[in-house]
Amino acid sequence: MKKKTTGRSAAGVLVASALTAAMLAGCSGNNNNNAGASSSAPASPSASASSSAGGSASASASPSAALPEPGKISIFTEYSTAWPPQADWGVWKWVKEETNITVEQKTATTTTPSEALALAVSSGDMADVMSVFPADVQKFGSQGAFLDLSKHMDKMPNVKAYLDSHPVIKMRVTQPDGKILNIINDGAGAGNQLVWFYREDIFDKNGLTPPKTWDELYTTSKKLKELYPDSYPLVFRHGLGTLQIFAPSFGILPEYQKDPATGKMTYGPLNPNYKTMVEYLNKFYKEGLFPPDWLSMDYKAWTQFMATNKSFISVQYIGQIETMNNQLTEGRLKFMAPPLGAGDKAYLPQGGYEDYGFSIASNTKNLDAALRYLDYIYSEKGRDIQSWGKEGETYTVVDGKRKLNDVYKESNDLRRISGILSAGTYGWFDFEAPLSLIKESEREAYVESPKYQFPVASTMPILSKEETDSITTQIDAVYKYYSTSISKFIMGETPLTEWDNFLKELDKYGLQKVLQTYQVALDRQNASK
Amino acid sequence: MLIRNLKRDRTYFLLLAPVLLYYVLFKYVPMFGIIVSFKDYNLFAGVWKSDWVGLKYYKMFFQNPDAYDIIKNTFVLGIYKVVFGFPAPIILALLLNELRWKAYKRFVQTVSYLPHFLSAVVASGIIIMLLSPSTGWINHVIQSFGFEPINFLQQASWFRTVYISSEIWQEIGWGSIIYLAALTAIDPQLYEAARIDGANRWKQTLHVTLPGIAPAIVILFILQIGKILEFGFDKVYLLSNPATYGTSDIIATYVYRMGIIQGNFSYATAIDLFMGLIGLVFVYSANQVSRRLGETSLW
Repeated sequence: MKKKTTGRSAAGVLVASALTAAMLAGCSGNNNNNAGASSSAPASPSASASSSAGGSASASASPSAALPEPGKISIFTEYSTAWPPQADWGVWKWVKEETNITVEQKTATTTTPSEALALAVSSGDMADVMSVFPADVQKFGSQGAFLDLSKHMDKMPNVKAYLDSHPVIKMRVTQPDGKILNIINDGAGAGNQLVWFYREDIFDKNGLTPPKTWDELYTTSKKLKELYPDSYPLVFRHGLGTLQIFAPSFGILPEYQKDPATGKMTYGPLNPNYKTMVEYLNKFYKEGLFPPDWLSMDYKAWTQFMATNKSFISVQYIGQIETMNNQLTEGRLKFMAPPLGAGDKAYLPQGGYEDYGFSIASNTKNLDAALRYLDYIYSEKGRDIQSWGKEGETYTVVDGKRKLNDVYKESNDLRRISGILSAGTYGWFDFEAPLSLIKESEREAYVESPKYQFPVASTMPILSKEETDSITTQIDAVYKYYSTSISKFIMGETPLTEWDNFLKELDKYGLQKVLQTYQVALDRQNASK
Repeated sequence: MLIRNLKRDRTYFLLLAPVLLYYVLFKYVPMFGIIVSFKDYNLFAGVWKSDWVGLKYYKMFFQNPDAYDIIKNTFVLGIYKVVFGFPAPIILALLLNELRWKAYKRFVQTVSYLPHFLSAVVASGIIIMLLSPSTGWINHVIQSFGFEPINFLQQASWFRTVYISSEIWQEIGWGSIIYLAALTAIDPQLYEAARIDGANRWKQTLHVTLPGIAPAIVILFILQIGKILEFGFDKVYLLSNPATYGTSDIIATYVYRMGIIQGNFSYATAIDLFMGLIGLVFVYSANQVSRRLGETSLW
């Protein structure tokens, strides 16, 4: 028995050392290849020589372009029920064809990616590459969860070029100490736009016009409720998060923000317009103009309301107009300009930018492949392929213009069938691809919504670790108090006469301290510009 | 002496080993992690390299204006669970015991313990669906009687009722199994004797059945007290929303938010340890009380 074991472990050592040797050879080959990648030269002969030993994987690719050393990485992404991840998605196949990297997609087990990421980081079970929000980087970056990418820019010339040509994004990812722990996506932001829309046919039939103010929104909803007593004329599904889209039509953002007028950090509810918004919502709630279970509604419930003629005005992601129109058996949804609640102009939240991006786990065992993956998706070629797919496979060129295959009927199909536009699969996106699928009749929202952009984005200045630590309990306490109070104001459990009291209490929970801390960070960011 | 015992009972010790190993590995080794609550723990630096900070995180918790509410919510929910949740399986077991039609009894038993196997996510999904004021079945019934629909899940005052009743629904059947087992151990001659003495069904239950399962009840009660602050965290979390934070934010959800979501492990550990100590006090006092009052106790 003893003898056998030694024999086996000796074989193990042999195999391991052989593997190490192969890896070393691969790494050096890689470096050569990466150095040449920026000039889009084919891979160096040494790389292709060592990869030929690696197996037949490269045989399927076009023979002209020699492939770099095979690599394997895992990527953590969100999970979406509307486009459940598939191992055979085109996006992963193209990555394999172009970079010889096999991607294993790991998805969030909860519907909130940040929470799932937190669980992954806490358990130490991180994927090599992870889709992250800037807030996640704030939380775990300082603990050393993510790799400092600024030290590896020499291996990612395309990423470097991308950041240099996107100074705002570079600012958003540069930590106070100069580290770069994440990269943010760009290009697909147009799809993140939240917009208002309404049922054109129902309005026409009843001689109603789209409301221009919140007062009109109220009277119109009231009329609709009379006409359709079973209905809830206005419907939204993000609970309190929906205030994100309501607030700009009152000239504010719901929580922490840079005041457009003063340039100082401020908190939404401190603005008198916030109270006006809550007053409206309270009135709507009392008279049953939106569903009573507004706090616990999900996408499925929302779809039901829209599809069964129970709701006629809504706020949602821009693509949902078309998606719902394709599902409606009768009637048509149409973009609606945001109604003015207070202030001089009604706005939509800024939707042009993206929050999601990438980090590499600090303990990754596949560093080279991970860096190579990021460099690929932020390259011109990677951008093109990960947005459009491949000619002949996903699109054809007709009269010099690209036309996506007929299997793709709306932008959601790109995600569902090929994974295009889904989290983790692109870095720098060409929005022309999904835009080319949008019917002429559905383009209005994309043309109109940019006209109503709120002047400031809801992005926050980056805090240092000490700053984050000093306000972490306060942020939670303020948020909890804020969300509870606002829900109760809206549902009439707390009378609005208590509003001033609510503002005073916020300070008790440390609001001023949080604001001051963010102000320091904002000043620092402005100084470094 | 000890060695001899070990040698003599080696088969038993061998049988015991996996259980011991389980407790050492999963209950005692993790206790070492308590140290984290006195340190500025950094996940990637590891426990030893993190700096000592003393009682910083304990102070942080008590300076938080929410601390009182969170502790109160945890206790109230825990006490409700014992007061309403604990007797439920006993009552069900007694009722089942009175059933003479065996097939029906088995059917009721099966149906009543099935919900135990639902995961918190599924159970919460069912609850949210049933209680919805716009589409929920329960509210349809309420409305058909001419009442206004109740927004169960968005009113802080309803949260405890909803949570406790759903707990009872899920656990009543499962909990009754142990009492049913205890019931089978009662000597049938006692019933016979009682009947001869003229006791009716109710009197038999009161004077034979209940005393018969009393030891089981007491032991389970003490164990239950120890778990007074232990909740199926997931269900509380899934059923709560901003409107109900006032009654639904408990230690476990707070620890989850601060510790896991915000990545503040030391802080979360400090709070949890503090609650663990309170739990210990509870078990100890319950045990003392039961020792004074009767002869049954854990130790």
